[in-house]
Amino acid sequence: MSDKDIFSGRLKVLSIIIVLVISTLIARMGYLQVYDGEYYANLADGNRIRLVPSVAPRGTMYDRNGNILVTNHPGFTVSLLPLTEPISEEVISRLSALLNVPVEEIHSKIAAHVGFDPIRIKTDVGPELTTIIAEQKDLYPGVVVEVLPIRDYIYKTQGAHAYGYVSEISDAELEKKKDEGYKSGDIIGKFGLEKVYDQYLRGTNGGEQVEVDVTGKPVQVLGRKNPIPGNDLHLTIDQEIQAAAEKAIDEQLVQIGAHAAAAVALNPQTGEVLAIVSRPAFDPNLFVNGISSKDWAVINNNPYYPMDNKAITGEYPPGSTFKIITGTAALSEAKVTPEEKIFDSGHHWIIPKGNAGGEALGWLNFEEAMAHSDNVYFYEMGNRLGIDQIERYARMFGMGKITGIDLPYEAEGLVACKAYKQRVFEEDWYLAETFDAAIGQGFNLVTPLQAASIMGEIAADGKRYKPYLVDKIVDVNGNVVKQFKPELLSQLDVEDRFIRLVQAGLHQVTKYGTAAFIFGKNYPVEIAGKTGTAENPHGRDHGWFVAYGPFDNPTIVVAVIVEQGGYGSQSAVPIGKKILDAAFHIPDPAQVAARAKAKAEAEAKARAAATAQVQKKQ
Amino acid sequence: MFLDKKLLRKMDMKLLLSVTAIIIISLIVIGSATHVNTPSEERYWFVQRQGMFALINAGVAIFLMNFDYKMLQRYGQKMYIFNLVMLLAVMFVGQSALGAQRWIQLGPITLQPSEFSKIIMIVSLAALLQEKVGKLNTLSDLLPVAAYVGVPFLLVMKQPDLGTSLVFMAIFFGMIFACGINLKLLAGIFGTGIACLPLLWHVLKDYQKMRIMVFLDPNVDPLGSGYHIIQSKIAIGSGMLFGKGLFEGTQSQLNFLPENHTDFIFAVVGEEWGFIGTVVLLLLYLVVLWRGIQIARQAQDSFGTLLAVGITSMLAFHVLVNVGMTAGIMPVTGIPLPFMSYGVSALTTNIWAITILMNIYLRNQKLQF
Repeated sequence: MSDKDIFSGRLKVLSIIIVLVISTLIARMGYLQVYDGEYYANLADGNRIRLVPSVAPRGTMYDRNGNILVTNHPGFTVSLLPLTEPISEEVISRLSALLNVPVEEIHSKIAAHVGFDPIRIKTDVGPELTTIIAEQKDLYPGVVVEVLPIRDYIYKTQGAHAYGYVSEISDAELEKKKDEGYKSGDIIGKFGLEKVYDQYLRGTNGGEQVEVDVTGKPVQVLGRKNPIPGNDLHLTIDQEIQAAAEKAIDEQLVQIGAHAAAAVALNPQTGEVLAIVSRPAFDPNLFVNGISSKDWAVINNNPYYPMDNKAITGEYPPGSTFKIITGTAALSEAKVTPEEKIFDSGHHWIIPKGNAGGEALGWLNFEEAMAHSDNVYFYEMGNRLGIDQIERYARMFGMGKITGIDLPYEAEGLVACKAYKQRVFEEDWYLAETFDAAIGQGFNLVTPLQAASIMGEIAADGKRYKPYLVDKIVDVNGNVVKQFKPELLSQLDVEDRFIRLVQAGLHQVTKYGTAAFIFGKNYPVEIAGKTGTAENPHGRDHGWFVAYGPFDNPTIVVAVIVEQGGYGSQSAVPIGKKILDAAFHIPDPAQVAARAKAKAEAEAKARAAATAQVQKKQ
Repeated sequence: MFLDKKLLRKMDMKLLLSVTAIIIISLIVIGSATHVNTPSEERYWFVQRQGMFALINAGVAIFLMNFDYKMLQRYGQKMYIFNLVMLLAVMFVGQSALGAQRWIQLGPITLQPSEFSKIIMIVSLAALLQEKVGKLNTLSDLLPVAAYVGVPFLLVMKQPDLGTSLVFMAIFFGMIFACGINLKLLAGIFGTGIACLPLLWHVLKDYQKMRIMVFLDPNVDPLGSGYHIIQSKIAIGSGMLFGKGLFEGTQSQLNFLPENHTDFIFAVVGEEWGFIGTVVLLLLYLVVLWRGIQIARQAQDSFGTLLAVGITSMLAFHVLVNVGMTAGIMPVTGIPLPFMSYGVSALTTNIWAITILMNIYLRNQKLQF
């Protein structure tokens, strides 16, 4: 065999191998580029495209007159932008020192983070820190400063329990709300209206599609979706009344050395909530950027539970305010006529229970008994009605169930009744307990909101409206998304003439009764009221006051409780009066005098300054 | 003029045009990979340098056409010695990069001797084997040849340059196969080789082991050595049928694709010109390799045939391993794509290799006058 012959066969094999090699490579290209091309195209986009979210500002809350209550301010946020390579330890420790955030916290935030959007390390930092980061860019690779809308409760503690607060979504909430479009790191309403109306307030986050290079540096913006701001809430709250109520309560608490109180003001003919206060309060601004452990300790160690909205979750014995129910029942069930007089000898003749302090008021008719809040008279009414009738009326007034206000965690209170006692204590009912129930002690419990609602039913001639805080929800273009209307929940099954009699009795409370001393003879608006003093086994009695006005066409009903404030007439009535003052724009005589004095002084000062100026010139 | 015009007309035009086309494509793609479209002072540096070396080597090639390749046969042993000296020099005076000593600095030029040693290897092996055609029947026939290749092979391995040593193997097997080695003997060698693979594992350096592990599953180290393979596959695949267009390949332009002007340049072709581009380029390589085999068949003598086979084996192995690597079907070995990857030493070697092929063709044509 010649060399040529040997080569010939072998070279044929080699050329086949070469064709095979090239064919294999072409086939592989076909697989990668044609068969799987779409898949790799997506991966390539995933490499280069980052979605930089822009957070939608939450909706604003306005009071009924268009005053801003809760809004947002732009805040600088320091974040890490995940790059292809992890942020170095050096940068993390430098950032930790700059922001005063522990290294471990930064690590845990990085570990918990998924996706490509920025990892927020500290929100709402001062401009001096952002300047440092901007100027020393090389020392902080991967660190970015974003401008985010930060929730701003401009009146701080004012209305905090109603407006609520926001904070970063928790893992548990995220698990529950994943399907509603919530994402890790989102801000969510945790309490109050912020919680109830979160879906409306949150808006829709937008973002920018940014093309980045391998170091994560933005190269160009590919697309932009503008965030849609959340819808605005127009509340039924009257900021003036709210402020006055809070001021009145704060001053009163200081004056009488009490620590906790609550107040509600409603329009009895619609259910609109005009003011809602709970004390002690908290500043919702503290929660916006994650509350510090120091601030949380202060709130948590306060024995009076600042985080509770006592106006709807606090359950107190209604005390003498319950006589409204007992009285209505007695008249309606014909157990007493308005004219019948009952003798108060200081205590009842069957069971020796009497008025606080043991006073004896002598012969009293219905109106006088109501005005003076006479216990003996109402014990007798209880005696005549029996506990079942009292229970029936209490429930008719809406006691023992939630009002349905648009705030979370509302309590339902309790109606004293045989069934309850049997269930809880497994004992029969005693007459003494009927006596207690008739004047609102014993087992009965109401929230301040329920107390206002009960008084409101008398004010509105038996109509009970669902209390509500939001009048309408308006989107960013001004379109009304949702309009809320008064909702009639029930109508008392009581003849009008009996309601009129109860109204008349309550009217006398501010004329010559238990609240007359505070309102005085010349109060310019006719007010009906009822004081109460709820026995408190744990300390001083709680003071109650419920009232409405103007008497003929009520536009406001108020309920006030001062925990451990003692007599309602002394602790709660002054607060109630100031709330009514604000509602009817009645100037406080003391304040009028002070303002006049201040004005005079200012004018005098200005005049003196002007004179001095003139003299200088000369 | 170095060359008479008749000779030029007798050139292997298919080979010449294919190689020229690949070089032109390479200049465009290197330009894209090195961002010539973004203004900066030295943006044309890579393209200019590669283009300049292509032209210089073309000139050298034309000049070399005047000599008969058969002269090389006489220098086979001397070149072999020179090769060993050069490889030893790398070990002692070479500059190291990435843990490997591969470069020698000669004035302004950095030389990568292992590139040149491939071609020297082919020439000296062809000189040795031309007397042994059809005479490689027993192990004792083969052993001297194996030892002859083994010494430079181990020196390159020691650098360490796994890629080039594998190219040596490819050349060796291609040439002894063409030489008519007894097929049973060949099968025996392969069988033993496969049986010894586990032993080889212990010889490999850690990074080489890692490369093989990553080749088997790139996701074991997605930000480390697997990164290259993953990004390269994404680049090629995302080019789809028609490609993203020149300068439009996001993987390459945004630097997600590393080494995009050197070892991974094929991925840039895939990304920017799509399946159409990769098929055209691979077909050009097919023409080059096909012509290589045809020239081997038509060579005047055994030396010519063996030279052409060695060169074709070398180029084929480069194409297979490089393109296979970018497509994720071959491990990352640092073998450049002939005429495409930026790198003047490799370009020079490859043009010289083609020059030899041309010369063999030319001498054959002349004979037929």
